[in-house]
Amino acid sequence: MLSYVLAGLGLGAIYAIASVSLVVTYVASGIFNLAFAAMAFAGARFFYFLNTESGWGILPAALVTLLLFAPALGIALYGLLFRHLRLRSPLVKIVATIGVSVALPPLIDLVFGKLAQVTAPGLAPRPLSVLRPFGAVVNMDQVTTYIGLAVVLGLGTAVLRFTDVGLKVRALVDSEALTSLSGTSPTRVSVGVWAASSSLAALAGVLIAPTAGVSMEGMTALMAAAFSAVVAARLRSQPIAVVVALLMGVATTVVQRYLDPESTLAANLVPSVPFAFMLVFLVYYAIRGQAGDSSTGGALDRAIRPEGGDPALIPSRPRAGRGLLTVGTVATVVFLVVVAILPAVFDVYWTGLAAAGIALSIALLSYTLVTGEGGMVWLCQITFAGFGAILTAELSSTYGWPPLLAVFVGSVFVVPIGVLLGVLTIRLGNLYIALVTLTFGLLAQTLVFTQDPFYNFGAGTAVSRPEFAMDNAAFAYVALGAFLLIGLLILNLRRSTAGLAMTAVRWSENGSRTLGISVVQTKVLISGLATYVAAVGGGFLALNFQSSLPDSFNPFIGLVWLAVLVTNGARSIMAALAAGLLFYLMPGLFQTFLPSELAEVPILLFGIGAILLAKNPDGVIAMNRRKIAELSERWRKPQDTGPGPEPASPPDESREPVATVGEERPVTTGGRA
Amino acid sequence: MTTSPLLSVRDLTVRYGAAQALFGISFEMPQNSALAVLGPNGAGKSTLARAVSGLVASSGGEVRLDDRDITKLSPTAIRRAGMVHLPEGRGIFPGLTVQENLRMALVVEKSAREGALDRAFEIFPVLGKRRRQQAGTLSGGEQQMLSLARALMVSPRLIIADEMSLGLAPLLVDVVFESLARARAAGVSVLMIEQFASRALAFSDHCLILQRGRVAWSGATDQAGDELLRGYLGEAAAA
Repeated sequence: MLSYVLAGLGLGAIYAIASVSLVVTYVASGIFNLAFAAMAFAGARFFYFLNTESGWGILPAALVTLLLFAPALGIALYGLLFRHLRLRSPLVKIVATIGVSVALPPLIDLVFGKLAQVTAPGLAPRPLSVLRPFGAVVNMDQVTTYIGLAVVLGLGTAVLRFTDVGLKVRALVDSEALTSLSGTSPTRVSVGVWAASSSLAALAGVLIAPTAGVSMEGMTALMAAAFSAVVAARLRSQPIAVVVALLMGVATTVVQRYLDPESTLAANLVPSVPFAFMLVFLVYYAIRGQAGDSSTGGALDRAIRPEGGDPALIPSRPRAGRGLLTVGTVATVVFLVVVAILPAVFDVYWTGLAAAGIALSIALLSYTLVTGEGGMVWLCQITFAGFGAILTAELSSTYGWPPLLAVFVGSVFVVPIGVLLGVLTIRLGNLYIALVTLTFGLLAQTLVFTQDPFYNFGAGTAVSRPEFAMDNAAFAYVALGAFLLIGLLILNLRRSTAGLAMTAVRWSENGSRTLGISVVQTKVLISGLATYVAAVGGGFLALNFQSSLPDSFNPFIGLVWLAVLVTNGARSIMAALAAGLLFYLMPGLFQTFLPSELAEVPILLFGIGAILLAKNPDGVIAMNRRKIAELSERWRKPQDTGPGPEPASPPDESREPVATVGEERPVTTGGRA
Repeated sequence: MTTSPLLSVRDLTVRYGAAQALFGISFEMPQNSALAVLGPNGAGKSTLARAVSGLVASSGGEVRLDDRDITKLSPTAIRRAGMVHLPEGRGIFPGLTVQENLRMALVVEKSAREGALDRAFEIFPVLGKRRRQQAGTLSGGEQQMLSLARALMVSPRLIIADEMSLGLAPLLVDVVFESLARARAAGVSVLMIEQFASRALAFSDHCLILQRGRVAWSGATDQAGDELLRGYLGEAAAA
């Protein structure tokens, strides 16, 4: 028994280090570091490079990794990205950190080479020596995790409690504005915090490598477990996070004592332990109403923080007169025509990619609904899509339903899952929703997608396309039709009373309540609809590949989906189509025309796109549309207003060229000046 | 001592997104002087204070302290240049102890640390008694004393005091004015934003009345009669 507890403490210690890293950056900078797994992976990979591949000793390799490489990585990321995120909305913060987690691993692979064999030594010398205290068995790897946690906690507490640097960090946590008024630069303190937190991520990565491997999967599982501890700590309390992390580690190993390690039950139960912890704490906090979005900083910080984002951006003026022939509609029509021509001119291979892209864009529309309309960051849409794919395959192959019927009716069965998740998370803040849905996705991946009869060695269940759409081109048109149908429904929904209620809830839940709008009803409606759309999209993906391919619905790929979509624009329907096509056509281009070493570059670019969101929070499509509108404004102005510019008088609204479609405009506080 | 003004603000413009808060504010503060900034709610008084101290970015105009352009400097650099901004509300770190709050205020002036702490506890003995207590658990008046102590224990060039007396009992309002008078006696200039117009005017040499983001009136305080105040601020404010 003691052996199990000691092994559990080892695992828990790593969870604890990870959760300390997450909590520190969250309280000090207001950013929840979803790139943690990627940073841990980078650290572990670099250590592996020095220690195993370059033959350095453990100590120098560890010192260089933890004290030079990791802090440098943290500082670089802070300089490139995190410092721009301070004033951004929670969605942009989350997506930009997702961008890092998507872009960093391929970058590391490009630099250090992709590992075929992921198991790696840790910080203990090999071969592993074993200690036997009180008849229990502990290996040196576990001992190093105890030492690691002890050093982190001891050093961290000492620095935070007794030094000037620690005082400044705690002051920054209390109030950034007041810190700067006191003559301490918040930027310099933040740089230090990110360097330290990156070091912790690397330490956790190096320590988990012997058991989970130097892989993004292993690191993501570590991060998901740490999420549970962080949720239990309500994102803020270090001691609670550490204790819960240790308990989770012990619970995970002790459970194994009573199970046959070879049984599927054991294989399923172990990854579920952190999720069970998270669920318990969530329900507890939700009942007590304590899991709202905690705002960082004090009253002064809130007073000088503008609601709508960067105060330097002046939003474009509402345009008068929405005629049919606006720049926006013209662009939309042109884009649709181009997409419609694609299957006719491409050969079979490229048409297949385009069809996959269109099918994916249906699934992406669910983000447009839940994130764009509902303002909630759900990270498990891909899981719903996966359910849709599996159901479509089962219904059409096993029960002989017609394929399209299987897609549209089968998806109905997924809706209750989404609604249930929606109801569970309704009272939670945005960040909690993101964490819960991501963990749910990971859990579904382990418990459902990789299990037989659905898994079938990764091939999934075969599906056949409808008879009239057997070839790629015909299927692409069917998918495009479905996309347009759902897109029109969403457009219509936006203009309906229910859509207005969604917009109201997105901007202010309390304000909506005072109007008599039911927040619960509205959010349930959105989550149900979004779940349905995601499942339909998954069904079409299955039809496209003529198999359910459960591996392709990994939540990590879901992060890439979200990154691509939000880069294009979270609220535009055409952006979903563009994102879907981009997701499949760009890797196609790379595979066809560039050497195979660059195969991961598209993922890297998708991640970088999401990172760039920090500077252009509306996405590329909206940005380009704005640029085009500006251009056309400049071009039309001389003709309309005639000679003699009048800079002092406000521009006449009726003469403004009708340019942007109303929905894409960012809204900030306050009226027009 | 130089003859140039201590603080000179020219055409200062501030906007929060689409909403413009300040429209071309200009004024000067001579060396060793006190200025009262008055105005109704929403006139832009706190925005002016925040723009001068660098907390919110200005979108036009220029701010000079001791003839040095500080318009684009960070609040940190402006604090180091000798300006202390005591913000509206409770300008303290609630999670730190009283002593740690004071230590944060001394980051800029490392050499004077020991003496400065003693000076703070001498001015406000109650802080000395509560030095190990979390600042967030102090009473409102004590929190305001702590905020004031952060300015009084060092020797800045200029203190911007934003609504320091807001929500305080009359006795504590007296403490606030006495403390700021102490700073004046030590040669520190004070820019005061106040709800008690008559007390602020009695304290200051000059007065600036803001209305809807613009300077409505400015001049020496002895010329700011009751009529004028009533016209701009309403009955209650002139009392």
